[in-house]
Amino acid sequence: MTSANNALKAENLTIGYGERTVIDNLSLDFPAGRMTAILGPNGCGKSTLLRALARLITPEKGTVTLGSDNIFSMDTRALARRLAILPQASKAPEGITVADLVRRGRTPWRGLFSAWSEADAAAVERALKEVGLTDMSERPIDQLSGGQRQRAWIALVLAQDTPCLLLDEPTTWLDLTHQIEVLSLVRERNRNQGVTVVTVLHDLNLAARFYDRLVLLGPNGMVAAGSPQDVLTEENLMTGFGLSAMVLPDPITGTPMVVPR
Amino acid sequence: MTVKMNAKMTAGIRGGLVLAAALLLAIVLSLMIGQIRLSVSDLWTGLLTGKGPGALTLRVLRGPGVVTAIGAGAALGASGAIFQILLRNPLAAPDVMGFTSGAGLAVVCGVLAGTTLPMPLLSAAGGLAAACAVAILAIKRDGTQVPITLILVGLGIGFLTTAGNSFIVTRLPPEQAAEAQRWLTGSLAARDWGHAAQVFGCGAVLAVILAIQVRALGLLELGDDLANGLGLRSNRARLQLAGTGVLLAATGVAVAGPVPFIALMAGPLGMRVTGATQPGGRIISAAVTGAIITVLADLAARSIVPGLQLPAGVMTGIFGAPYLLWLLSREMDAGDI
Amino acid sequence: MRAMAVAALALVFAAVLTLTVGVREGGFALLWQALTAFDPTDPAHIAIHSIRMPRLIAGLIAGAALGMAGTIMQAITRNPLADPGILGINAGAAFAVVIGSLIAGRADNGLMAALAFPGAAAAAVAVFALGGGLKGDAGPVRLTLAGVALSAMLLSFVSAIILARNEALEVFRFWVTGSLAQAGMRPLGYMAVAAVFGSALAIAIAPRIEALSLGSALARGLGTNPGRIQFGALVAVTALTGAAVGVAGPVAFLGLLVPRLARRVGGHVLRRELIASAILGAAILLFADTIGRLVTPPAEIRVGTMTALIGAPMFIWMARRLRAGAGA
Repeated sequence: MTSANNALKAENLTIGYGERTVIDNLSLDFPAGRMTAILGPNGCGKSTLLRALARLITPEKGTVTLGSDNIFSMDTRALARRLAILPQASKAPEGITVADLVRRGRTPWRGLFSAWSEADAAAVERALKEVGLTDMSERPIDQLSGGQRQRAWIALVLAQDTPCLLLDEPTTWLDLTHQIEVLSLVRERNRNQGVTVVTVLHDLNLAARFYDRLVLLGPNGMVAAGSPQDVLTEENLMTGFGLSAMVLPDPITGTPMVVPR
Repeated sequence: MTVKMNAKMTAGIRGGLVLAAALLLAIVLSLMIGQIRLSVSDLWTGLLTGKGPGALTLRVLRGPGVVTAIGAGAALGASGAIFQILLRNPLAAPDVMGFTSGAGLAVVCGVLAGTTLPMPLLSAAGGLAAACAVAILAIKRDGTQVPITLILVGLGIGFLTTAGNSFIVTRLPPEQAAEAQRWLTGSLAARDWGHAAQVFGCGAVLAVILAIQVRALGLLELGDDLANGLGLRSNRARLQLAGTGVLLAATGVAVAGPVPFIALMAGPLGMRVTGATQPGGRIISAAVTGAIITVLADLAARSIVPGLQLPAGVMTGIFGAPYLLWLLSREMDAGDI
Repeated sequence: MRAMAVAALALVFAAVLTLTVGVREGGFALLWQALTAFDPTDPAHIAIHSIRMPRLIAGLIAGAALGMAGTIMQAITRNPLADPGILGINAGAAFAVVIGSLIAGRADNGLMAALAFPGAAAAAVAVFALGGGLKGDAGPVRLTLAGVALSAMLLSFVSAIILARNEALEVFRFWVTGSLAQAGMRPLGYMAVAAVFGSALAIAIAPRIEALSLGSALARGLGTNPGRIQFGALVAVTALTGAAVGVAGPVAFLGLLVPRLARRVGGHVLRRELIASAILGAAILLFADTIGRLVTPPAEIRVGTMTALIGAPMFIWMARRLRAGAGA
C-alpha cells in the first residue's frame, strides 16, 4: 500500500485571502507512508496549507498532486476515496450517535442508491475498534467526554479508508493524556497500513515524538523541512517563532525536545 | 451492539407509531367535528357504503379540506426540517425567514393581476425570490453568511412582505379584501379535491427529489470542510437542498396560504417524539408532525367559535409563538444566540 | 441647533400637509379660513375641523410618543433594533384593549383605552424577561426574536377576536397594523395627557439613563440606582406606547427609524435626542400618513403599513450590521 501513488506534493503554491498573501510560492513533498507535521506560529498559514492540500481552497498559483494526479482536476468522489480531511473543531449534529457519525465517513464509497455493504460495515467496525469506541458506538456524541468525542471524529475519517489522511489540529482542547492517545492511534494506522499522514499541530515536542518529518512555517514563509532533528534547532525556532529556546534530547525517546528559555 | 441497536430502533418505531396514531386521531376528529357532528360509525358507514351524512362529509364537506391540510402541513413541516438541518439552527424555518410570506405575496399579486399561471408556480416564484433576497442580503461585508443574520434578515423580509400584503389588500374592494386577508393569514376553508390533488402531486415530485438529496444533507450537517472532504460539492448541494426546501414550502402555501409557525414547530416536535437523528428520519417525522398540527389548527379554527370559520393561521400564531419563545429560552441557555 | 430648527420646520410642514392635502383640494387659503373664520355651514370647514384636526392631533401624539419610546428603549437596552412594535409592546397594548372591549361589550371609550397601559407594561416586562434581561444578558438578537414571537402571538389573538366578532375590516386594520383614519373616534384628550406625562418623565430621567448605559456598576458609582431608573424608563415607555396605541393602533417601526435620525439632530445628549425624537417622530408619521392617502385614492394606505414599508428595509440594513451573541 505504501506506493509513491500516495505521496502528496505541493508545487509553487501561492494562496491569499483578498489582498493578503498567506502562502507565497511554496513547494513541499509529503512522502507516501510517512507522517508529516506542519508546525508554526498562529497566522503563518498552516491550516491554509492543509486546506489547499485537501482542495478545500483553490490556490492562486501552483498545484497539488497526489501521486501523479493533479487534485484540482480530479473527480470529487475519486479524490475522497484517496484522501480524507478532518477539519478543526467540528460540531456534531444534535443527538447523533457515534456509529451514525462514523457511518457517514463511508459516503464516497457508496453509490447514490446502493445499500449499506459488508465492506462498509467492516470499515466502520474497524475504525471504531481502532479508536476504542466499539462499546460506546450507540451513545449520542453529546454524552461523550472531549477526548472520546475527538476519537469519534477521527473514526469517521478512518472509516473513509483512504491511503492519505489530513488532520487539522486534532489535539486542540484535549488534555495531555488524550493528546497522546489520539496521536498514538493515528500512528498505529500509519504503521499498520502505510497511510500517508499530514497533520497541523501546535505542540512541538509531541510532533517530534510522533512524526517522521516536520515542516516549520514562519511569518515569512517556510523555515525548514525534514527530520525532527534537522527542523527543531535553536536557530530555526528563533526564525519561526521568535522564541529563544534550548533543544535537548527527549530523555525517553531521544527525539529533540524544546525547552523555552 | 446489536441488542442496543434494536432498542434504539424499537424506540424509533414506537415514536413513528405514536405519530401515525396522532395523525389518524387528528383526521378522525377533524372529520367528526363541525357544524354537524358525526359519530365514528357515521364516518365508517359513509366510507364503506358511500351513503349517508358520513359520505357527504367525506366527499364534499370536510374530506377535501382535511386531505389538503395533511398535504400542506407535511410540505411545510418537511421544508422546515430541511432548513433547520441545513443551517443547524432550530429557528431557521421558512416561515420565520419570510419565504412563506414571500410566496403568499406573489400568489395574491398574481391573482389580482388576473394571471392564468397556476398557483403553485406563483407561490414558488415568490418563495424563491424571497429566499434569494434573504440569502444575498445576509452576506456580510467580509463575505461570510451566518445563520443568525440569515434569520434576522429573513424576519425583515417577512416584515416587508407583510407590509406589501397589507398595501395590496388596502386597494381591494371590501369583500375581496376580507377574503385576501383571510388567505394571507393562512386558511383551509372551502378547499376542494383539486387543491388536495395539487398539493400531493407537487409534494410527491419534490419528495422524490429530496430522497436523492437527503444523503448530502447528512454530510452538510458535519460542516462544509468535512463534507467536501467526503466528496460532496457542498455549495452546489446546499443550493439544491435550499431550492427543494423553498419549493416544498411554496407547495404548502399555494393551497393553504402562508400559515405561520408550522414549519418552525414540526421538525423539533417530531424529532422529540421519534428520536430521529438522521436527516431522513427527521424530515419524515417533521412532515407527519406538520400534517398533525395543520389538521388540528384547522379543526380548532373552525370549531372554537361556533358557526364561524377563523383562518387556521390565527391558531398556529397563537400556539406557535409561545413555542418560538420557549425555543428561544432553550437556545439561550445553550448559549447559541 | 440649526438641525433642530429644520426638524421643527419639517414638522410644521407635515402638519399643514395633513390638514390641506386630501381628496378635495382646498389649499392653504381654505385652511386659513377654516381656522380663523370657521363657517359651520361649509362642509370643507367641517371636514377640516372634525376629520383633519383629530387626524393631525392623533398623528402628533402617536408620532412623538413612539419616537421617544424608541429612543428610550434603544438607550436602556443598548439595542439598535428596539422598537415598541418589534418588541411586542404595541401588541400588548392593543391586545389588552381588544380583550377589554370583548369582555365589556363593544364600546371603545376612554376607559377601555386606558387598558392599553397595563397591556403595554406587561408586554414590556415579559419581553425583557423572555429576552434574557433578568439574567442580565438581553442581547439584541434575543430581545428581537422574543419581541417578534410575543407580537405574533398577541396579534394573532387580536385577529381571532376581531374576526370572531365579525367586525369591519377597518377595525381589524386599526388593531393589527395601526391607522390614523377615524381618529375622531379615539380618546385623544386622555391619551395626550398620558403622552405628556410619559415625555416629561423620560426627559427628567434621561441623564440617569445615560449614566446607566455606561454599565450598571459604573452607574452605581455615579450615584444612581439602576433598578429605579429601569423602572422609571418602563413607566415612561408604557405611558408613551399606551398613548400611541390608544390613538393610532400598533404602529410599528417608527421607534426603529427615529432614534438614528434623532442622534444626528440632537447630538449625543439623551435629552436633546428625546426632543428631536418627538419632533421627528411626529413629522415622519404625518408625512407617512399623507403619502398613504395620496398613493391610491380613494383607498387609503394605513399609516402602520407605510411605516412598515419604510421600516422593514431599515431593519434589514441594521440586522446585517449586528453581530450574534449577547454583547454586540
